[in-house]
Amino acid sequence: MAEALLPTERRRLVSLLSPAYLWLLVAVFLPLSAMLFFSFLTGLPQDDPDWGVTLANYGKFFQNPTYPALLWKSLKLGLWVTGFCILIGYPCALVLAKSIKGRAREALFLMVILPFWSNSLVRIFSWAIVLRGNGVLERTLNFLLPFDVRLNLMFTREAVVIGLVHSYLPYVILTSYLALQAIDDDLIDAARSMGASKLTILRRLLLPLSLPGLLAGAVLVFVPVVGSFMEPRILGGRLGTYYGTVIEDQFVAVYNWPLGAALSFILLAVVLLILALTSPVLKRART
Amino acid sequence: MRRNFLGLLGKAWLALILVFLYAPILVMAAMSFNASPFYQLPFEFSGAWYQDMMANEQIFTAAARSVLIAAATTVLATAFGTSASIALFRYDFRGKRILQVLLFPPIAIPWLITGTAMLIFFFTIGIGRGTPAVLIGHVALALPYVIVTVSARLSSFDITLEEAARSMGASSWTVLRRVTLPWIAPGIVAGGLFAFAVSFDQFVVSYFLSKPGDTTLPVLIYTSIRKGFTPEINAVSTIIIVLSMAVMFLAARYSRFGGER
Amino acid sequence: MSRVEVSNVTMEFGQTTALDDVSIAFEDGGFFALLGPSGSGKTTLLRTIAGFYFPKSGTIRIGDRNVESVPVEKRDIGMMFQNYALFPNMSVADNIGFGLRVRKVPAAEEKKRISEALDLVQLGALANRRPSQLSGGQRQRVALARAIVTNPKVLLLDEPLSALDKTLRVDMQIELKRIQREVGITTIFVTHDQEEALTLSDRIGILRNGRIVQAGPPREVYDRPVDEFTAGFLGEANWLSASLLEDLTLPAQVDGHRFGTRPEALRISADTPDAGQNAVRGQVRQRIFAGAMATCLIDVGGSQWKLIARDRDIPELPGDGQVWVSWSPEDTLVVRA
Repeated sequence: MAEALLPTERRRLVSLLSPAYLWLLVAVFLPLSAMLFFSFLTGLPQDDPDWGVTLANYGKFFQNPTYPALLWKSLKLGLWVTGFCILIGYPCALVLAKSIKGRAREALFLMVILPFWSNSLVRIFSWAIVLRGNGVLERTLNFLLPFDVRLNLMFTREAVVIGLVHSYLPYVILTSYLALQAIDDDLIDAARSMGASKLTILRRLLLPLSLPGLLAGAVLVFVPVVGSFMEPRILGGRLGTYYGTVIEDQFVAVYNWPLGAALSFILLAVVLLILALTSPVLKRART
Repeated sequence: MRRNFLGLLGKAWLALILVFLYAPILVMAAMSFNASPFYQLPFEFSGAWYQDMMANEQIFTAAARSVLIAAATTVLATAFGTSASIALFRYDFRGKRILQVLLFPPIAIPWLITGTAMLIFFFTIGIGRGTPAVLIGHVALALPYVIVTVSARLSSFDITLEEAARSMGASSWTVLRRVTLPWIAPGIVAGGLFAFAVSFDQFVVSYFLSKPGDTTLPVLIYTSIRKGFTPEINAVSTIIIVLSMAVMFLAARYSRFGGER
Repeated sequence: MSRVEVSNVTMEFGQTTALDDVSIAFEDGGFFALLGPSGSGKTTLLRTIAGFYFPKSGTIRIGDRNVESVPVEKRDIGMMFQNYALFPNMSVADNIGFGLRVRKVPAAEEKKRISEALDLVQLGALANRRPSQLSGGQRQRVALARAIVTNPKVLLLDEPLSALDKTLRVDMQIELKRIQREVGITTIFVTHDQEEALTLSDRIGILRNGRIVQAGPPREVYDRPVDEFTAGFLGEANWLSASLLEDLTLPAQVDGHRFGTRPEALRISADTPDAGQNAVRGQVRQRIFAGAMATCLIDVGGSQWKLIARDRDIPELPGDGQVWVSWSPEDTLVVRA
């Protein structure tokens, strides 16, 4: 097919495609390449006339145990948040896709994913109001429970996890729901006619068939959480130092861009590794 | 009876999740009308923070800038994205798969990485920080969303309609204008709304690319929060969240996102 | 293998009554077809017997057990679905073994029964394939093997052949009948294709608006339909207008009945037919040749009749098209007016 394009068609094709892809080239792909280049520099060319090429920025990551420790901390955060999102979100998607029918389902689904498309910064900020000591959550609990609770979750790791789960939960629900909804109800009826219990149907049918969707959701949560910096800053306070906040610091506080670029690229490598590991399962979703 | 019990449990779970998702937003909205600047209870109604917000020129210019950038992003990303979708749909050529795969890095790579990379690059080539840089970044982030949304709509388009129109002697421009575009119009509208939302809600990339003191609304909110809570931020945030939910609600209606039709 | 008995079952979905006081018995080892237009309640009846729906009132017995409030998974049935509903994430063998594993059948026996079932449907070589790698006919066989491998009390088939093309369908009908005889399982079969119902089953139940209109052996239902609807649904029928009845020999009194004929029961002749035959005058409008068979459209007393016969049995027609149409009195259809 490729060779069959006439010259006029080829011109039209190029003129239709080039604005979008040139834009992506200039705004995404060249910057990423530039960042790779910068990560090997001793200093910024515009500041430092004696700039040179070095591996020292990557060396710093391995010499200073703080960086690997923070990366590990961020990866753990990612695992916690992803785990909670799956535990909370998958059953929710299951209820939406297989137990609620008709217009109610559409409306509820929209309600679940709507907050996800609204401003995430503002949503994180709203948790700051809820979680602070003597805040709404503590007061509500004290009102409901007979005994006195002291609850100040603000500026703890729990606060960061809660905020991030709130931010990314709809991803898991969305992808799992779409995968579950695509499963023909006759399959469930067939399994029931053969005597399968609800648990068997979930374990042997629904879970395997929706796994690609669930995994896609998990990746979509895990990747940005590992690179998060705004959420830990607002909800984590002094404890909110993560790998993402260190990168942020290199660019807005310390101004060590080459180090920041190197740290970013290590993060990118981890992200790509995760995508590569999960892609065989994700590809199965198409077949 | 077990059936009903499980079904009830599921619905209760769903209700709990909705509470989890909406409660903090509602609390924030309520607090924006609370007289106490330290979120003290009992609740006492006051519109003072909204008045403060209106009087705050910094908030006003940042909001105007945000809307302007989002509008420009919508126009550029929708136009470029739609034309790219049509090309990807209509023609078969070598490298098409690669072009489709290239749409994913802007979505899948953490914005922290994309944003800092843009900062480095724009500084190096002399664009520097500021509104133009923010706009370039936003359009790039919005493009994949537009292309994916419009392509999804196009995939249900019957190509023989174009062929039928051409057999009746219509030029390819006429075919595009009279047959193809009307069909994909809902997809374009939805893609445009997505683009607006991506830009208007964008914090990370704006944060790295905007000039201090010359920022978009989310960046202003972030710096205010970090300096210490200011109640008029509640008011702004409430307005933002209502606005962006409204935009997304429209987008979802247009794209039949998740619905069965 | 068991007798299935449905007594006074009523099913409602919201405002609409899907089954209205249905009573019908399915004999042990029989092949029973439920036939009716869409919306007649035939699928609802099948799914109520299966246990997907619970009736508002009435009882359902499978064997010697009352099951009307037992859910599907505890009814010990086998079911085949219109689109087969094979599990795409499992091999053919795992699909067939699903019900056995649910019943905790020991591994060795499970293996043996899977291979027996595969042999029965002649798919032994495909045990490790995925459903997506099978043809339509093969999927059909897997679905059948899967439905009977657990030795259920009753086999329920929901339009199982409708997704196949014509030739494959006829092959599968023969195959289905063979397997059902071999296994001897009570089988209830839903279809909207009357030819299929007549070919396969030893009893037919006709449904309309959630009620059983008539039930009986195929020949009886075809030859002795109780009303115009059943007669028309199972085949074509020509109806006699009142003015024609006078000179005819009729099997029942005129009051309260309508009379008609099947197109293939009619003969056509230019001369007056033998005495003892029922005969009416008609005007041939059209003669349609279709190879071995031919169809004539004849105007009889103002209404259009259809005649189907072997082409060679239809004589040369007179130039004016005026003919006698005749049939044996015992071939006259009698239905409620």
